[in-house]
Amino acid sequence: MSRSSAGIVLWALVLAPLQNVWSKDDCGAAAQDCVAVGHWNFSIELGLGERTDPLVNAKSIPLVVIPQFSYYGKRFFLDDLDLGFTVAETDSNSFNLIASPGYDRVYFYRSDLQNVFVSGLPFSSDAVSVGGIPANHPPTLAAPNAPAAGSPSAFPPRSRRITYLAGPEWTFKYAGVTGQLDVLHEITDQNQGNEVRAAVRAPLLRADGGLTATLGFTWNSAAIVNYYYGAANVYTGGSAFDPFVKLAYSRPFAKRWRFNAFAEYERLAGAIADSPIVAEHHVATVFVGCAYTF
Amino acid sequence: MLAVAWIVAGHCGLARAMATPAVPTDPIRLELSPRLCTIGSKEAQCEIRVRASWHAPHDESLCLVIVDRPDIRRCWEHYSEGTFTIDLTFSDDVRFQLKDPALREVLASETLRLIREAVRYRHKRWQPWNVFD
Repeated sequence: MSRSSAGIVLWALVLAPLQNVWSKDDCGAAAQDCVAVGHWNFSIELGLGERTDPLVNAKSIPLVVIPQFSYYGKRFFLDDLDLGFTVAETDSNSFNLIASPGYDRVYFYRSDLQNVFVSGLPFSSDAVSVGGIPANHPPTLAAPNAPAAGSPSAFPPRSRRITYLAGPEWTFKYAGVTGQLDVLHEITDQNQGNEVRAAVRAPLLRADGGLTATLGFTWNSAAIVNYYYGAANVYTGGSAFDPFVKLAYSRPFAKRWRFNAFAEYERLAGAIADSPIVAEHHVATVFVGCAYTF
Repeated sequence: MLAVAWIVAGHCGLARAMATPAVPTDPIRLELSPRLCTIGSKEAQCEIRVRASWHAPHDESLCLVIVDRPDIRRCWEHYSEGTFTIDLTFSDDVRFQLKDPALREVLASETLRLIREAVRYRHKRWQPWNVFD
């Protein structure tokens, strides 16, 4: 059993006795953040928006038609590409064990499944060209007469596989503020890296939704940073701390329809931004549209 | 003295026996099949075929009606049993009644129950890294 698996089991053993204490909540059909147990939920976002791609020569990722689905059992849940198990839950706290895909692959492959659920159906299955070389080429060494290290065209093309990270997740609510902390470890044996995700969301206009602000960060260990943005003898980055801020407005306007608009700005750490295949120091996302729930 | 007591007790026993009402006749029985309909959380109505049957110890003249559904009525004259089958669509309990032909007295009644699936809810997980959450 790997260290990460042992850690997950340890978390489950520690938190399992609390499940009887933390199982009471007042969720109902009318509550916006509640879902029926044992039912599939499907929705689709329709609108106009885009997410910038920080890679060299990469085009922005369009946000037009985005399907979303989820299934929540009594404890098990599937939420788009995330899956998890709720160890303990109350109205104000939730402890889950989750598995979530590594995010950065979306910048390299338009066909990545996350791009279906983040940006809609991909218009092409091609990998993003990095420095003029398709990123899904098998790994090759730079030729002796290759351009100097540090230039994008010196970067050896290689594939970046789908990865999953797993670990405990704590979500809390206090005085209208929602917070979340994930401590994850890569479990698909691609980079063995670690990732910490944390965010807090606060309502700005109304306590029950409306305009909200979210502050958060993603911390990636050097192993993950180099899996995506590094190359031996060309570039090696350290760990990366990427903070982000998001403003979102959401309001229902019909029985199954909801208006959504948001703008998000994520600052990329130097360990990522300094890579020769990265052109931008940030990722910006904007979207205006509607969600229809089936 | 003992004889007097015996006579008094005997009279009391006789009086009690005379006061006992006669054995009642069997009531008219009304049965529904099925007796309940279960619907899911997303269904608003139940649509089923219901069979109502009645039995009486003697010939009767009566009518089968459904409460709050004046359009539905089936009557029999001088029958000791009867059956009525109907396709129903309903969103609440349905009460069947057997009444006299003048529809004044309720002779028997039975309820077709509507059972809604009990839905349990739980908190949906917040996904800060989902652009739409």
